[in-house]
Amino acid sequence: MSTLLDQQGRAAEVLRRFSRTTAAMLLLVVVAGSVALEVASSGSFLEGPSVRVFLQYLATPILIGLAQMVALCVGQLNLAVGALGGFTACLTGVLMADHGVPAVIAVLVGLLTATAVGLVTGIVIVATQINGFIVTLATMTILLGAQYRLVGTRTVDGYSPTLRDLGTAAPLDTPLVFVTAIVAAGLLGAFMYRTVAGRRLLAAGGNPLAARLSGISTDRQIVLAHTLSGLLVGVAAVTATASLPGVNHSVGGDWLLPSFAAPIIGGVALTGGSIAVFGTVLAAFVTRLIDAARAQFSLDPSWVNLLIGLVVLGTVAGGHLHQTRLAKSASSEASPQPEGAR
Amino acid sequence: MTTSVSPPETVPAQERTAGHRMPFWVNQRLGLLVLVIALSMLFGVLRPAFLDQRLVLFPLLRDVATLTVVALAQMVALSVGHMNLAVGRMAAFGAMFAGIGYDRLHLPMQAGLLLCLAAGAAIGAVTGWLIARTGVSSFVVTLAMDFALLGLVSLMYSGLTEDAAFTTRPAGIDALRSYSLADICVGPLCGSPAVPQLAQFTVFAMLGLGFLYGCTRIGRELLLTGAIPAAAELSGIPTGRRVLLAHTLSGLLAALAGFMAAAGTGTFRASIGDDFMLPSFLGAVLGGTLLTGGVVSVLGTLLGTALVGVIRKGLDLLGVGLESLNIYLGCILLLALSADRIRTVVSYRKVVRST
Amino acid sequence: MNSVLLECRDLVKVFPGVRALDGVGLRLTAGSVHALLGENGAGKSTLIKVLTGVHAPDGGTLAWEGEPVQLRSPLEATRTGIGVVHQERNLIPGFSVAENITLQKPPSRRGLVDYAAMTEPAAGCLTELGVDLAPDRPVRELSVAQQQLVEIAKALYTESRVLLLDEPTASLSPEETERLFEVIRRLAERGACVVFVSHKLEEVFAVCDTVTVLRDGKSVLESSPLADHSHDDIVSLMVGRAHAATELHPRPVDRSAAPALELDGVATAGGHRDISLAVRPGEIVGLYGLVGAGRSELVKAVLGLGRITAGEVRVHGRTARISSPRQALHEFGIGYVTENRKEEGVFLEQPIVRNITVTVWRRLARAFGFVPARKERETAQGLVERLGIRIAGLAQNAGELSGGNQQKVSLAKWLAADTRLLVIDEPTVGVDVRTKRAFHELIWELAHDGLPILLISSDLAEMVTLADRIVVMTDHRVRGEVDNDRDYDRMSGRIIRLIHDRDAVRS
Repeated sequence: MSTLLDQQGRAAEVLRRFSRTTAAMLLLVVVAGSVALEVASSGSFLEGPSVRVFLQYLATPILIGLAQMVALCVGQLNLAVGALGGFTACLTGVLMADHGVPAVIAVLVGLLTATAVGLVTGIVIVATQINGFIVTLATMTILLGAQYRLVGTRTVDGYSPTLRDLGTAAPLDTPLVFVTAIVAAGLLGAFMYRTVAGRRLLAAGGNPLAARLSGISTDRQIVLAHTLSGLLVGVAAVTATASLPGVNHSVGGDWLLPSFAAPIIGGVALTGGSIAVFGTVLAAFVTRLIDAARAQFSLDPSWVNLLIGLVVLGTVAGGHLHQTRLAKSASSEASPQPEGAR
Repeated sequence: MTTSVSPPETVPAQERTAGHRMPFWVNQRLGLLVLVIALSMLFGVLRPAFLDQRLVLFPLLRDVATLTVVALAQMVALSVGHMNLAVGRMAAFGAMFAGIGYDRLHLPMQAGLLLCLAAGAAIGAVTGWLIARTGVSSFVVTLAMDFALLGLVSLMYSGLTEDAAFTTRPAGIDALRSYSLADICVGPLCGSPAVPQLAQFTVFAMLGLGFLYGCTRIGRELLLTGAIPAAAELSGIPTGRRVLLAHTLSGLLAALAGFMAAAGTGTFRASIGDDFMLPSFLGAVLGGTLLTGGVVSVLGTLLGTALVGVIRKGLDLLGVGLESLNIYLGCILLLALSADRIRTVVSYRKVVRST
Repeated sequence: MNSVLLECRDLVKVFPGVRALDGVGLRLTAGSVHALLGENGAGKSTLIKVLTGVHAPDGGTLAWEGEPVQLRSPLEATRTGIGVVHQERNLIPGFSVAENITLQKPPSRRGLVDYAAMTEPAAGCLTELGVDLAPDRPVRELSVAQQQLVEIAKALYTESRVLLLDEPTASLSPEETERLFEVIRRLAERGACVVFVSHKLEEVFAVCDTVTVLRDGKSVLESSPLADHSHDDIVSLMVGRAHAATELHPRPVDRSAAPALELDGVATAGGHRDISLAVRPGEIVGLYGLVGAGRSELVKAVLGLGRITAGEVRVHGRTARISSPRQALHEFGIGYVTENRKEEGVFLEQPIVRNITVTVWRRLARAFGFVPARKERETAQGLVERLGIRIAGLAQNAGELSGGNQQKVSLAKWLAADTRLLVIDEPTVGVDVRTKRAFHELIWELAHDGLPILLISSDLAEMVTLADRIVVMTDHRVRGEVDNDRDYDRMSGRIIRLIHDRDAVRS
């Protein structure tokens, strides 16, 4: 009996803590937004087909948001998310359509290529010590060119019907691509929270000096983060290939901004050391909701970008104000800080 | 404590030879110039058409002129150690106001240009104010600004126009687009048909920035703000205001580039500036401007942009697909920076060995 | 219990231009609390870095329990059994207490972190320290003192037998300090050796039993029982009496002149309370205190970088509410030579000429803000000659100069601006003896010419050499003021007493 009470107490504590997080706020926004849309669409928003469409287009924002989040968690960033995704999608498509490679192998090659590109990016950053911003800017340029060289101006669509079926399949109105994204998020969360390697990654992002003193190589963590980021982009590319009617040079062109929006809204700090898998997924939900609302009211698609931009600005400005207030209240009670670092 | 000083700091002055005193960006700019000329000659030999003044060099220089201004907009943000990811969208934002001015208010060309510049400066000022006020990194703020403007500009175009473009052209803008120095004659002597008149804006911008950074108090203060903000503040520089100024200037230059791009194509549309971000960094960084702030090179920015332009055009004429050029450009960026890095490492080792 | 754990002999560590360690010996025995003392720049940090595997020594020997040992990385040092708690916090803010404690070798099964198995040893370490702290709390929620205890627990977890604590009490309250001392004593009883690095002599005498004093990279007192020495012995060993006696020609000070700077009952948001002091033209007023006393923060608050919550600041007789260093410079003529040269004083990657003229561009500027390069160079050249700065050329980057010359550059910019009040913060930390003397003469000359100077220093000898009056500050409060009669023994006695009186009040 006492253990039950104990458990209840602990659950209440966990709940209380959760209620103060960004994720809880986002969850609230998601629920409120869904309800509002449901009302506005007089009940059609939560019906099977529209849920399916909603979730179908949610897979990519989740995956690219996670890919960016992994880079951010070691204090890096990845500008090549869109270009790498587009390139991988086109590579997979071209392999299947033009060279008759079986879908399984094409998908594997795509995933491996994306991972390898991430690995190389990480190695270049560590070896040359050039700012990650510039390195990923360069890889982005290179990949854009490579993508165009692969497909030119055509749209490649003559590829494996099996893959395509899988991409649009939605048992119980839950599209497989969405399930893939959620599984990827779950695995990433497990990796980050449960494995030694994942904790090392976070430690290196949270306090590089402390990590190094504990025998964790920060260079290796940077390489690992970019590799993981590449792998997640690869998964995003494969789901995109599977669910799109065809791949062309424009795939991935509009991924860069959403990839940053999801983690930033989800509560990930740009300075590294923090992750929010759940928050990022929810933030992707929110951006998708904005898009769905836009469609509901038949507004111009540009509203989505405007709103997301304003939300991100609001998030960072609000977060900053919150922090300064915290710092102020903390400094007024804490003992005075030491003079200079000596 | 003071015993953990980083090695280069304690190198006594006398260890340095006179040759070291020449700032190495001089060499970098010289190298760029040599590279631009050599590549132009190479392409000229391989494809004589490359040196065709009206058909090749004129559009090439028009692009270089526009992209140099874009890169200068980035350079100004970099000078205070910030970046402006919204250069392209600020260009579109400014150009949109020029379009509205011509289409709705029937302004003369100069007035529209002023409106465009004012709009750019205003949006830049808002960005700078947000950064200085909240202390959030310029990366995030300009990224979000990019989102917001992307939406806003398309919305306004689709709301204000029939086919998402302002097509009213004020008197004189066509001349800007197609006239070169050949159309300016002093007696029998005419200028080169390769140099577009649009380049006058670039020259103005370069002279202005060259004067600002080379000769004025404000320019020096911008650079020191970029070098070490804390030290700049303690030396009596109003760093917040300098950050605001840098972003305002960046917005203004982006808008100027937007106007030039619109003048070059003849229409004011939302897609102006879509492909500005990469060239903005390429030109500035290849030209020797540091991402960390404190060092800029106006001439280097022109040369960096020119190098990219020449390579683009030359490879295009050699039959390399225009888009796969990006592969080479990315590689060049990496190689150029790695070379720089190797140079610093080597010179650092020399310095350490000499003590 | 008296077995020797770690012994080093004749350690040498050379950085370009500096012999940071120049023959240091140290013997750490089990069950002792060993004080490592020395002034700023004496080599304590370098020694700690060598002992913890961050720097490799350039000469000398290290032995662990009698066996020669090489510490090539921090990890190797930890594995050997040497733990360290640095001044800067080395914890991962997002991780739990338990995870931080076990960071070095987290309990795991097949690559998965075993959180359950983590709690027990972590809790064990905390209990051993007598600390009541839930192992699953995130570190970012903890106070500074609690974080420090977590770091000590971290060293326990790796079974460190030598534990180096670098200025552990710098940001602790008296109660927290006392609790830390209990922990230190308990660790020593268990057979560990705790190395206690501190500026606060009172604390050293409260908790340590052995002492090593470093000066100018040499160990002037080596692993000696603390009971054999008095406060004054130790202080004079740290300071080095030989340096104290720089002879400067006498300089008259007009005590009746109106103060150039006057603080009257000033309190700040940073924790200063009731600060009053005055600096007259031609007078050098020393602001003496140990690290953490809040001296630089006080100056920064006066310059508008911190909030003044009470009291009044008067500059040249005028009430001054200064909102920025810019206003301080242009309206009140206040210059501040900062302590932290690399981050606040000198723009290392910028030419010397700009470093010097940054404060006068306003005055030099003509129409459109045009700054004539010739005027700029002349101004800079004049100061380079006046201060004897050794440079290869004005266009040279300041980062290429030696530390002393950099310091002169950071002073030059305020002289260029003809400041009417100068604050100089730790001017001679990390510069060699000759430069130090030159600097002292320079400051003396400036005061001779009528400039009011507020000198901040932790170097008692420097204070006695230069200051006319010495204001003693501890814990963000002024403890007293003494007129300097330039008798080192008498002055150091009086000042140390002022500092200790406060410690007596504390305990």
